[in-house]
Amino acid sequence: MPQAAKLPAASSVEVAVDFDSSIQSLSALDAAAYRLIGTATCQVHRAGDHYLCRLISSANPQKGPVLGPDELKERFLNLVADENLRARVAARTDGVRNVILALAFGALATNQNDAG
Amino acid sequence: MARFSSPEAFGAAAEDLSLFPFNFERAGVNQYLVANLVGDFIRLTEAELHKLVDLQIRPGDGLYEKAYAAHLVTGTNQKSQRQLLAARLRSRMSFLQQTTPLHIFVVTLRCEHSCPYCQVSRQSTDRSRFDMSEQTAMRALDIAFASPTARIKIEFQGGEPLLNFPLIRKIVAAAKQRSGKKLDFVIASNLALLDNTVLEFCKENDVLLSTSLDGPADLHNKNRPRPGGNSHELAVAGIRRAREILGPDRVGALMTTTEASLDRVDEIIDEYLQLGLDGIFLRPLSPFGFAIKTKQFAKYDARKWLAFYERGLRRVLEINRQGTPFREFYAALLLTRMLSDRPIGYVDLRSPAGAGLGALVYNYDGSVFASDEGRMLAETGDDAFRLGHVEHDSYNSLILSDKLIGAISSSLTQCAPECSTCVYESHCGADPVYHHATQGDALGIKPLSAFCARQKGIMGLLLDILENSPEDAAILRRWAAA
Amino acid sequence: MTLPLYGTASRSAGFSSDKARSVVRLRSVDSAAERHVADFALARTPDDIRRAIEAEWPSILVVSDGSIDLPGTFTGRLVAVPPKYDYLADGDVIGIDHASRKFRTLYRRNSAHNSFLVTERCNNYCLMCSQPPKNVDDRWILSEIKESLPLIDPATGALTFTGGETLSDWEDFIAVLKECRDRLPATAIQVLTNGRAFADSRIVDAWKDIGHPFLMAAIPVYASVDHVHDHVVQAKGAFDETILGILKLKDRGQRVEIRVVLHALTAPIIEDTGRWIARNLPFVDHVALMGLENTGFAIANDAMLWMDPVDYGDGLARAVDHLSAAGVNVSVYNLPKCVLPKSVWPHALQSISDWKNGFVEECDRCDAKTTCSGFFTTGRPRFSRGVRAITAQRDELTTLAD
Repeated sequence: MPQAAKLPAASSVEVAVDFDSSIQSLSALDAAAYRLIGTATCQVHRAGDHYLCRLISSANPQKGPVLGPDELKERFLNLVADENLRARVAARTDGVRNVILALAFGALATNQNDAG
Repeated sequence: MARFSSPEAFGAAAEDLSLFPFNFERAGVNQYLVANLVGDFIRLTEAELHKLVDLQIRPGDGLYEKAYAAHLVTGTNQKSQRQLLAARLRSRMSFLQQTTPLHIFVVTLRCEHSCPYCQVSRQSTDRSRFDMSEQTAMRALDIAFASPTARIKIEFQGGEPLLNFPLIRKIVAAAKQRSGKKLDFVIASNLALLDNTVLEFCKENDVLLSTSLDGPADLHNKNRPRPGGNSHELAVAGIRRAREILGPDRVGALMTTTEASLDRVDEIIDEYLQLGLDGIFLRPLSPFGFAIKTKQFAKYDARKWLAFYERGLRRVLEINRQGTPFREFYAALLLTRMLSDRPIGYVDLRSPAGAGLGALVYNYDGSVFASDEGRMLAETGDDAFRLGHVEHDSYNSLILSDKLIGAISSSLTQCAPECSTCVYESHCGADPVYHHATQGDALGIKPLSAFCARQKGIMGLLLDILENSPEDAAILRRWAAA
Repeated sequence: MTLPLYGTASRSAGFSSDKARSVVRLRSVDSAAERHVADFALARTPDDIRRAIEAEWPSILVVSDGSIDLPGTFTGRLVAVPPKYDYLADGDVIGIDHASRKFRTLYRRNSAHNSFLVTERCNNYCLMCSQPPKNVDDRWILSEIKESLPLIDPATGALTFTGGETLSDWEDFIAVLKECRDRLPATAIQVLTNGRAFADSRIVDAWKDIGHPFLMAAIPVYASVDHVHDHVVQAKGAFDETILGILKLKDRGQRVEIRVVLHALTAPIIEDTGRWIARNLPFVDHVALMGLENTGFAIANDAMLWMDPVDYGDGLARAVDHLSAAGVNVSVYNLPKCVLPKSVWPHALQSISDWKNGFVEECDRCDAKTTCSGFFTTGRPRFSRGVRAITAQRDELTTLAD
């Protein structure tokens, strides 16, 4: 029997994942969604204190096999976890990164200034 | 009485530790591949990665030692590692000090082959209005000599450049007349028109020859139709003759991959081996020119090509294990990036991109392009990488043009989504022309990019060999040496 | 047998009391070379003495076990040393203390291994130190070296400066190096140093300003990890300063050799250390991986440090492979070929200073003896269980075993 009018097409899979917006950043969700391009689309909605992510796997993925709903959810959660970790690393290391870049290339700026 | 302190006396306290920047990627169940600021790789479990980020590590626990040697962690008040990273980073980026080393002169569009994948649009042999004029050539030489680098390479391309050999003579003579730069010359030719005159000229003027050799006869001829169907025969004869007269290190061959090549990498490599060539460059098919029109590009995706590449690389390693030195040149380039900090200016493997900064292309009609592929786009009506014209532009106006700056800055891997946090970023490059041609955008969406998939695939393969196959790893390490 | 470079003269006379020490150069009696005030005629027999006096030598050094008869007319300086110093020859330089008659051989012209100890002070305290540090005011040593330089044959191929930490009094020491540059322009100079002083830009700049054409700083690095290196050298912060020093030296175009002494703390990790040097410091001019000299502190710490070289051979071979694949010049010092993997043999050099170099009985029937480093004779030599003559027969056996 047909169910709700908005069934996804038979060849694609839809999954919803939600996050507590007080502890999950939107930018990490965006970054994870970007990495998922070609495998699945991701739409992020804000609902109260949650982010709702609607993932639809591509019928014709650019790489890898078509993902089932559990695999897609797991993949997305892993990607988000990785992005959250990247954000933590960046917060702790951006300062010293700038120091190293200045050590590496700062002399060039000085030279250019001297040269007028 | 001498008194010595135990190892514990020399370890840093937890509060004195700091993280250095690093990128990472999941690499399997409970495994991460981690790369530091200059691209040194180590593998960590998930637990180790979290311990590292939280600085829950101590001298003597094994993880501290791995992380310290890989410049992931340091003593907050220490100085040497950050100076070391800065010095290594500066070395890796120092290719930027050599702009623009390569200048390509398209001396004619005429050609007597009709290769389906050809990046050059064909014009039949008797139409001499598709030859570069001497005036254009001299203006282009002005621009080339205005580039700041002390050494430039002038490469003659076409069509078939030997169809305008008189102009090549003039350009070489004129270039040598000018002072101020060391010069290298290359002619990229199908060698069908190679005769003693050309060979003598090359020998006298130290000109390198570069030709195409796609594989055994049937494959090569299928890729390169020529009236007479003897492209392979002429190429092989040309290579042999040129090696004999000019010397084996003065002649190089490049293959181009088509769908027909994908199942035959062993034969292609054997063809190169038989001719005594010292290596092969396993290239992907470029999505330009006739390739797009004839749908060559659509015919295979990154996965198929990677399978082809892996098989080819393993065959090359086998040849080495059997005692014959033979390289895969793209792997050698990547390994130089991965195992040393020597700067590589290879135009397709750098960020900022090599378009314009690494090479300028002077078309037969005087238009100047940021790359060979950029010129091919123009043939299909897309001027995105046409920087100007020799009549009214100077080196500075070309290099500082909005088009070029826009393409280079918008495609920087250091700033791009996914690229900037990619574990392979230190060894990869921006290819704005490729991404513009395939996605309409200089940056491209990397998850959709076959360039990206290929880069990750090759580097993953090289890492796997370096980590798990000691004999092959020793061979690969030597490809990275100076 | 270890050549005795230190000793006490059996007699000395004629030295002035206005200074405590003198530097002496030996000359053969018949030498026609221009005489320097520090020159002593070298006599071994009564006849030599007679001829020396006839040739109007104002000073004479006698190698003799018996009593020496000098004519009463001789009013010059005299030193007599026992026969075990018979190696002394024309061109050699010694330093002698007037009061105690103690002397040291500072320089031997016919040796390829001349080294000057600059000081016994050091800011490291390596567990295996062959010259254990002493906190003494020995700045007189640099003065003595300065006095010796004009006496050294300018045709000398190479000189080494060692210690202690050679840069302890860096200003005075750099002045000595400038003297070397001026007086011995063709002599290559190697300075053994822990490199920590070069973390100070003033000192590196002063080093660069010497402008010596053949100067090399030889600097030990024992690990790719700070606390491991620091523990070996017993100084917290040493690794950071040493690496920074190396970077600053290379930044100013100075020549650097990295040394790794191999023992139980450094050899098990030598592959990692070699790979780290290949990746991070491939621009150094040379890397020397060195067998342990079992003398000084190495004896006190024997239980912690002794490791049979055959047990670290595989790691050593891999370290050598990483380094040479990266284009680094790498040598293995102080280890006999029989205990090394074959892949390492091309890198194994005869490296032990002649005065402390020896072989064992097993070596008499070895084919590789002439190109082998042999063993140290100093301290308490410990021998690997792998010491065995290399013969064609042994090669066959090895092949069978494979």
